[in-house]
Order: sequence, then C-alpha cells, then structure tokens
Amino acid sequence: MLARVIRIAVVVGLLSLVMTLALAFRRDPHDIRTGTIGKPAPAFTLQRLDGSGEVALADLSGKVVVVNFFASWCLPCIQENPALVRVYERYRASDVVMLGVDFQESRENGLAYVQRMGTAWTTVADDDGRVALSYGVFGPPETFFIGPDGVIAGRHIGPIDEATLVNGIETLRARAAR
Amino acid sequence: MNRRVVVAIALLVLAAALAFAARPHEATADERIDQITTELRCPVCQGLSVRDSSSETARQMRVLVAQRVREGKSNAEIETEFRASYGDWILLSPPVASWSGVVWLVPIAAIAAGLVLATGRLRSADPLEPVEPSATQVAALRERVAREEAAEG
Repeated sequence: MLARVIRIAVVVGLLSLVMTLALAFRRDPHDIRTGTIGKPAPAFTLQRLDGSGEVALADLSGKVVVVNFFASWCLPCIQENPALVRVYERYRASDVVMLGVDFQESRENGLAYVQRMGTAWTTVADDDGRVALSYGVFGPPETFFIGPDGVIAGRHIGPIDEATLVNGIETLRARAAR
Repeated sequence: MNRRVVVAIALLVLAAALAFAARPHEATADERIDQITTELRCPVCQGLSVRDSSSETARQMRVLVAQRVREGKSNAEIETEFRASYGDWILLSPPVASWSGVVWLVPIAAIAAGLVLATGRLRSADPLEPVEPSATQVAALRERVAREEAAEG
C-alpha cells in the first residue's frame, strides 16, 4: 500500500515539475517584466552626445518613445543597429521618437560610435548611469517602449530585431488611436 | 584582599567591557552603505552582491546608495528605490511574502495533493477482510479431504 502511495505521489510530483517548467519556458526570456513595466517612465533630462543641448523625456509627452540603451563596447548593440536604422527611417516623419541613451562609457567613445554607425536619431549621454538604474537596466542593449501617456508598456533585453520594434511601436500607436 | 573578591571584580569589569562594546549603536554612514550594498544583488553578475562586485553597474549603484545615505534616506527607502526599478529580484534575500514564494509552495502542495488522492483511492478500495466459505464450498472441501484420505488409505 505504501509503495503504491509513493508511486502515485512521485507521478504527481513529476507532472507538477513538468508543468512548472513548461510554463516557465513558454515565456520569452527577452521580455522580462520587472518593476518599471506598466509604471510611468522615470523622468530624465540628459545632454545630447554631440553637446548640442539637452533632451527631456517630458518634452516628448504624447508621442510613442523608443528608448534604446547602448554602448560602443557592446557587440550586440552593433548587431541590432541595422534594425534600429530601418525602423527609424520608417517612422522618422511620424509621431514616433527614437532616443538612444549611451551609458557606461565616455562621451567621446559614444559619439565616435554613433558617427561610425550612422545613427541619425537623437542620442544622449547617461554619464553616471542614473537613468539606466532608474529604468532597471541590466546591461546594453535594452529597449523600452513608452506610450503617449508616458507609461512604460514594454521592454526588450538584448539585441532587438525589426519585427519586435515595429510590433512594439504599432501596439502603442493602435492603443493611442483608440 | 580576598582572592575571590579580586576574581569577581575582574569578571565584572570584563562583563561590563563586553556589554559596552556590544551595545547597540547607531550605524555610521559607511556601515549603512556596506549593509545596503550587501543586500542588493549586482544586476550583471552571478549571485554577487553590489558590495562584492567590481562591475561598473555595481560601482554606479554603490555611488547612488552613498548619495542617498548622505541625503538622509532610510535603508528601506533606498531599497524601495531599487525595487521600483528592478523588482524584488534586486534583493539577495527577497521578502518572504512575495508571490515568488509560490514557486516553492507549488511542488510541495502538489505532492501533498497526490498523497491525499492516493490515500483516498486506497481507502475507497474493497477491504481485504476474511470471507466465510459457503456451505457448498465447505461440503466440496470435506468431500475432497475424504477422497484423498481414502486414496492414501
């Protein structure tokens, strides 16, 4: 009788483990929902990488904002750059704003990188990393989608592709149009 | 002076010195920074605290913690600021009340449910109680015994 109880308990335990693992692995590891998702995007005012003034997130209110954290020493940032360029060209005349936030390096290196990569969108310098910390960034590259209401709707950890960028932007535009 | 009195006084002085050294005192700024950064997880490391990590991210976090301590923020307020950005994950010892505790409870609950289920099924099964043979069976057995005794004869 005891053996039968143990056998059934083991089967039930294994089934539970399989179910737990199946649920865990269904999630996209790049779509990590930490503290900032669904909350107002932390405000910031940062200097442009080229030194031509400041950019405040508050000035972009009412627009879809794609904030991309990057650094020149980060190889996945180089990998994702062509997708960012294509998406920037696609939306440059629209209500979508792309903003690159360079962090954990000198401004000189960051500026040389954006000039080398042909980055046409606005790039700013997060010199002390405070903005990255306030967004809960683990490391570059990371991309945040901020809606016209100023709330962070999504984030992507690691190199992002064109489809994910377009999907994130269009979801927010559709929501804003409703 | 009595030797016992001297020993007793010496012990009292020692106890008083120990009590004085171990008295609760207000932590200095550096102690608080150490305490907070020991409790915070380095986001770019494997299981290292912000205090122990040499990464740039951890360094920036230590600078931010130090600034918040200087600003007069409490330990809880500083940890709350990091939890707002990174969630409970940023604490090396997340609060027990967090929903993540369910991850540990589910397998235990599942095994307990399995045991209850198995016990219930076994109890509902027919009990193995001794059954009295019928009169026909008794007669057949007697007849068989008599036949075998006659054969041995």
